[in-house]
Amino acid sequence: MRPIGFSTGALAKGDFARGLDLQRGAERIDAVELSALRDHELPALAEAAASLQLDAFAYVSLHAPSKLQNLDEETVFGLLLRLPEWPIVVHPEILQTPSLWQSLGRRLCIENMDDRKTTGRTVEELRELFEIYPDASFCLDLGHARQIDPTMASALRMLREFGDRLRQLHVSDVGPRGEHLPLGATARRSFAHVAHRVPGDCPMIIESIIAPEAMEQELDFVCAALEMTLTHAASA
Amino acid sequence: MDFALDKLETRLGADWSSIRAARAKTEEVVADLGAALSDLQDDAFSILVTGSLGRGEATAGSDADWVLLVDGRSDPEHAMHARDIGNRVRSVVSKEVGRSGTFGGIVASHELVHYIAGTRDSNENLTRRILLLSESRALTNPLLRERVIQNVLSRYVVHDRSVQSRRGIRQNVPHFLLNDVVRYWRTMASDYASKMWERQREGWGIRNVKLRFSRKVLFIWGLLASFAAELFPSPELHQVENDDEYYRLLSNLIRSLTDVSPLELLARVVLDCEDRDVGDAIFSSYDRFLGVLANPEARTKLEEVVFEEALAEPAYAGLRDTSQRFREGVTRLFFDAHPKLPGLIRQYGVF
Repeated sequence: MRPIGFSTGALAKGDFARGLDLQRGAERIDAVELSALRDHELPALAEAAASLQLDAFAYVSLHAPSKLQNLDEETVFGLLLRLPEWPIVVHPEILQTPSLWQSLGRRLCIENMDDRKTTGRTVEELRELFEIYPDASFCLDLGHARQIDPTMASALRMLREFGDRLRQLHVSDVGPRGEHLPLGATARRSFAHVAHRVPGDCPMIIESIIAPEAMEQELDFVCAALEMTLTHAASA
Repeated sequence: MDFALDKLETRLGADWSSIRAARAKTEEVVADLGAALSDLQDDAFSILVTGSLGRGEATAGSDADWVLLVDGRSDPEHAMHARDIGNRVRSVVSKEVGRSGTFGGIVASHELVHYIAGTRDSNENLTRRILLLSESRALTNPLLRERVIQNVLSRYVVHDRSVQSRRGIRQNVPHFLLNDVVRYWRTMASDYASKMWERQREGWGIRNVKLRFSRKVLFIWGLLASFAAELFPSPELHQVENDDEYYRLLSNLIRSLTDVSPLELLARVVLDCEDRDVGDAIFSSYDRFLGVLANPEARTKLEEVVFEEALAEPAYAGLRDTSQRFREGVTRLFFDAHPKLPGLIRQYGVF
């Protein structure tokens, strides 16, 4: 079975404890990504990490800050080192000092980006990053990949080229300003085109920003998308 | 960047200085346009150039065919941007864009993607769509251009497939794309006749010459792109077992060729020929064509030549003769000299 769960930030912005509470005990949820997307969230999370109740989750990862606004790179890195051995999902633009991040080895999990960023968006840009971070793993954000290429050919190429690094998926729709939205009908069809390339045990982290009462429906949508079989007639 | 064109020029001991000068001029103008438009970055649109700037063939007399390609929500402000862009483009390239209205304004991706053939596909839409594929270049937001092209190509390649052959062989030449490319070539030729009629032969000379050279290389680009799986195979494509994935990757392979100019793509194919005359006939002729266009006096003569006196006008008559050599070279490439093209043309080109 594929571990599945939500990013804490998607369910409760800036409140990882509530994001965890909402998922704990949910029947189908056995994965979680702890979000410290805004750098001011990281110190509190690092402080609480050792005491978090995470028994319900077979897979736990941490999303590092996407921008350095209040903390510098070295401070962020130091806080990340205080965490348990979770995979650390990063946006390439925070990787300013390669030697620092290379030391994380496979724990460093590089995510492909949306079109507002300047790197990590395409196969070619990811290839350059993995040359700098040869041991890093890969978080495929399906929504970002679809925003760059709605035909999902780029996502397929990412999976073909970086599939052996794949550590987890990010799943959501992506709006015109890069916002993570509930999975729409068109995105569900698009994602189905890459499902055969995603290993059955690869964890799926849902980033759709939704109200707690919509969690079950979003889980249904995500599971259906990755299990959908599209015949050619249906895809035409 | 290593150009096949340069490699071919060296191999043949040729001197295609006009082609090189046009490429350099293109880079200069594109850089100036890019600087003039640099603050117009937006997630929802990309500013493109087509025509000689898109092909890398700009000369001093070239205009700048531009479009504001919108792929996102409609916004009345886009019209304001379009006016602003027109003014800024004119400040860099003073020559006015053509009067057909095909360029110099807003183009919505929806029509390019959804109105392919059928009753809603206009001549203008066909032109914009094929030129987007064969000779466009982004001045801003290149990923948006790429995204729209991916969507257009998926209509041709992913969503239109024939029944698999009895031997289980995939259809690796997308017929829909090939047919549209052929249709566009014939449309350009028909439009030439139509404009002769409507404009009472005004400006016919330069249109005639362009049909013989630069319009023809667009057709050639389309043919070569349609044959991409045979001519430019990637190892990953032939390892794919899943049909859906195969066609998406084939579409992506063709997409990668939309960043390659028609002349450069043609040179890649000519490099596979042992017949040296083919390359010389094609590119030395084309070099002469660009050399004449770059000469303001000769260009003016082409623009003003009277139909009845055409063969007495050296600028026109000389290029007409040169165009015949160009055509002979292309014909030999496609029908005789290349290791794969004659078979492909025989199998897919006509019947």
